[in-house]
Amino acid sequence: MKQPNHYAPPKWPLRLLRLFVKEEYLEEIEGDMEELFQDNLETLSYRQARRMYTWEMIRLMRPLIMKNIRITLSPNPYGMFKNYFKISFRSLMRNPLSAFINIMGLAVAIGICMLVYAFIAYDNNIDQFHTHKHSVYLTTFFADREGTLQQYGQTPGPLGQMLKEDFAQIKHVCRIEDRNLVLKYGDQVFTERVRYTDPTFLEMLTFPLKWGTSQSLADVNSVILSEEMSVKYFGATNPIGENVHIKLGNAGTKTFKVMGVAAPFPKAHAIDFDFLINFENLRLSESDGALHDWNTLVNATLVQVEDPSDLKIIQQGMDKYKVLQNKEVQKDWAISSFAFEPLATLHKNSAQIRDDISVDPPIESLVALPVIGMFMLALACFNYINIALVSTTKRLKEIGVRKVIGANRVRIMIQFLVENISVTFFALVLGFILTITVFLPWFIPVSGRELELNLIDSNFWVFLLAILFFTGIASGLYPALYISRFDAVKIFTGSVQFGKKNPLTKLFLGIQLVLSCILITGAVVYMQNTTFQTMRSWGYNQRDVLYVNIPNQSAYEHLQDKMLQNANVRSLAGSKDHLGKKISTAIIHTPANRQYEVEQLAVDAHYVNTMGLQLSDGRNFNDQSENDKHTVIVNELLVKNMELSNPIGHQFRIDSTKYQIIGVVKDFHTHSFYNPIRPTLFKLADKKDYQFLSVQVKNGSQEETYQALQTQWAALFPDSPFQGGYQEDVWGIFFSQLARMEEFTRTIACMAVLLASLGLYGLVSLNVAGRVREFSIRKVLGARLLDLSVTIARQYLVLIVSALAIGVPVSYMLIHTQLNMMFAYPMPMDFSGVSIAVLLLVCVLLGVISIQIRKVAKSNLVKGLKVE
Amino acid sequence: MKKTKLGEFEELVLLTVAALQEDAYGVEIKRELETRLKEKLSVGSIQSALKRMEEKGFLTSEFGEATQKRGGKRKRIYATTSYAHQVLAEMRDIRAGLWEAIPNVSLT
Repeated sequence: MKQPNHYAPPKWPLRLLRLFVKEEYLEEIEGDMEELFQDNLETLSYRQARRMYTWEMIRLMRPLIMKNIRITLSPNPYGMFKNYFKISFRSLMRNPLSAFINIMGLAVAIGICMLVYAFIAYDNNIDQFHTHKHSVYLTTFFADREGTLQQYGQTPGPLGQMLKEDFAQIKHVCRIEDRNLVLKYGDQVFTERVRYTDPTFLEMLTFPLKWGTSQSLADVNSVILSEEMSVKYFGATNPIGENVHIKLGNAGTKTFKVMGVAAPFPKAHAIDFDFLINFENLRLSESDGALHDWNTLVNATLVQVEDPSDLKIIQQGMDKYKVLQNKEVQKDWAISSFAFEPLATLHKNSAQIRDDISVDPPIESLVALPVIGMFMLALACFNYINIALVSTTKRLKEIGVRKVIGANRVRIMIQFLVENISVTFFALVLGFILTITVFLPWFIPVSGRELELNLIDSNFWVFLLAILFFTGIASGLYPALYISRFDAVKIFTGSVQFGKKNPLTKLFLGIQLVLSCILITGAVVYMQNTTFQTMRSWGYNQRDVLYVNIPNQSAYEHLQDKMLQNANVRSLAGSKDHLGKKISTAIIHTPANRQYEVEQLAVDAHYVNTMGLQLSDGRNFNDQSENDKHTVIVNELLVKNMELSNPIGHQFRIDSTKYQIIGVVKDFHTHSFYNPIRPTLFKLADKKDYQFLSVQVKNGSQEETYQALQTQWAALFPDSPFQGGYQEDVWGIFFSQLARMEEFTRTIACMAVLLASLGLYGLVSLNVAGRVREFSIRKVLGARLLDLSVTIARQYLVLIVSALAIGVPVSYMLIHTQLNMMFAYPMPMDFSGVSIAVLLLVCVLLGVISIQIRKVAKSNLVKGLKVE
Repeated sequence: MKKTKLGEFEELVLLTVAALQEDAYGVEIKRELETRLKEKLSVGSIQSALKRMEEKGFLTSEFGEATQKRGGKRKRIYATTSYAHQVLAEMRDIRAGLWEAIPNVSLT
């Protein structure tokens, strides 16, 4: 044991101690701490003792021991605060316009922050209402595709059954498979999304029911509806016991009894259903043994375990399935491992998992939302600071009086902060009303999410309180510091140099200008980009094409016959897949043993012409030739990816069949413009597999032909719903989203310009007000208006130029990056967006400055000189 | 007990001061209480209890000798006032009275 005296306690806690402990206690407590430290050294290591010492020191922070804790409390704070409120209300009323501007500015910014909150809260709440969200897991697997490991949310068909049989730790298993099926009730016929699932579905995913029981799903003849579907078919009445008919593929039409109706789904959900029927029905309808084939995938397999730690064992036990899957059947889909994703985090990670059931609407565009919220709040705060400084010129005397009757600096600061927080409070209330009545109704369609401000959510109130104090203090601290600094004597003798030189206000304005520059540039570029995206070629003729979904071959033939008689029809094609509606994937094996994943469309020989795709090399299919069953037409990207110098005649394998390239088409979009073009191939489809009929019509006759198509359909197939449309509309959502996004950014930019110009207005008038006397003398001595204008404008020239010099490159970079992130084919950006922003800002600035100059020109010389 | 405004922890500290007599200073009080209560206490809690009771007039204090172990700092020795004794005795009586009032049955 070493001599303890060699060791000293750490220094910094001692310094801290000296800072806060009352003088008279210092010696005693220091001694105690030292003694304790030496004691500790006998039992603990040096490091532990030091740690103990620090910890004890922190725990010494108690009101009784600390300095000055009672001094700031006034004997009667109530009266004082009442006075503050009264004064702040009066000063607000004295200048209603600037008060309104201030409060409105803050209210808009706070409203936007609330919107951001609602957005984030919604996102965090998706699928969080399920009781078992921590014990229910989605089974996923990792597969190596083109060198990268990708997680998939679908699972091989037989897996669910085997999991249940092999692992006692699994409490429930639930398979989910979706089909679009024709459903009939009375004379209503619609194609609906029907979910085949195990009876455990409603036990694992706790959707509450409005009518009926969840156990009824065990009966293969019963169906459970969502509330929406119940209303669609049965109105407000209770449909329990009603019969509906569903066409189940091979099994023909089967009658189901409605045995349950779900309560309306919570707004924040990603997993839902329209119709639920027992999974056994899938076996009936698809008798080809789909459930035993490792080749087929079901949409989801959920498991529920008692104890999450069992998952590891299950995961290890699943290795044998891997062998089954990889060795026996699926050579292309080499599964490298299985994994489980808890329901609680499924939606959050859904972007990484391909084809999972927790669908994520494409809203990457709104990532910037929180940033915009912060920007607006910052703008409003800077604004408030500048205007508050201006309006205080009128209150200098009040501050002087307060100081004379004994208010110290802290008091004055508290007064201004209280004032500010109450103004912010007004703004908060107004912002709340704005959010509820304007922002939310406007934003819900923009975001595609049913956002709401949840008043029961305690976090929301914490958020409001945080916003209130943050905004109140952030916007009020500087004015409070600035104003409380003045000396009472100087105020009364009139020698206060007010607002003449204040680098900080200029800095604030500079930041405001940069922020506005970014927002305006964003708006302009988005508008340009929307036009660009709308004008972008799809790579085929989408304007003159109609399509319709057909149930079978005979339907196709009937409709084809009828439509060929229509004079408006130029060309007509049948296909199994269809651009923008249905597309499959295939894996190409080259002779050199490389693999490529490609999009695949099975079509007939007329498809390429009908869709207006352009052959750049080779020839089209020939229906008559038996040989062409083993040929493909590929797009240019595929040729490029496979590095084929002479693509025509090149051969590769898909599964075990050999195909030969006979033609190359120019690249075209199979998905919306958010996604890059993928390597794609066409092959001939069997006539019995046709699911789509596409029609190219004469330009200008689209509507007429569409009507004719519908009429034909109704005449031929009264029992089946018509499912068709204009090809132009297949990405309608994408384009309407673009338009909404543009509207959103435009609105935000307008607000930003407004806020920034208000800020400048405040600053310039502050400056002019502080120099009335100077200007009056100048005028008396014969200065012309031009000279005065130059004097005023020169001050801001440097500021504006430097703010824009920073703003322009920053805006350009930011917007450029964002655009590239969102779109696979962003508009090639030029400087026009930034130039427009700069032009707009300069115009606004000139306008604001000229208003002030006019004021000076019109001002009364005598009054100006009388100012003391 | 409201009348005397003496909390449970304060009462314990006060009793310790009374028991320790000349040795009643910060760390020693802490050590004594820790062995009796069998739990760790912080210097802060002891000190703030001492200061509070001093303000209320239960304790008086004066500086004692300095030791090397304390880095040359003096100890502050606390002593109980007669008022404190009176309050402590009152409390003991109230408690004793209440204990006697408990019927035997509930004790076993």
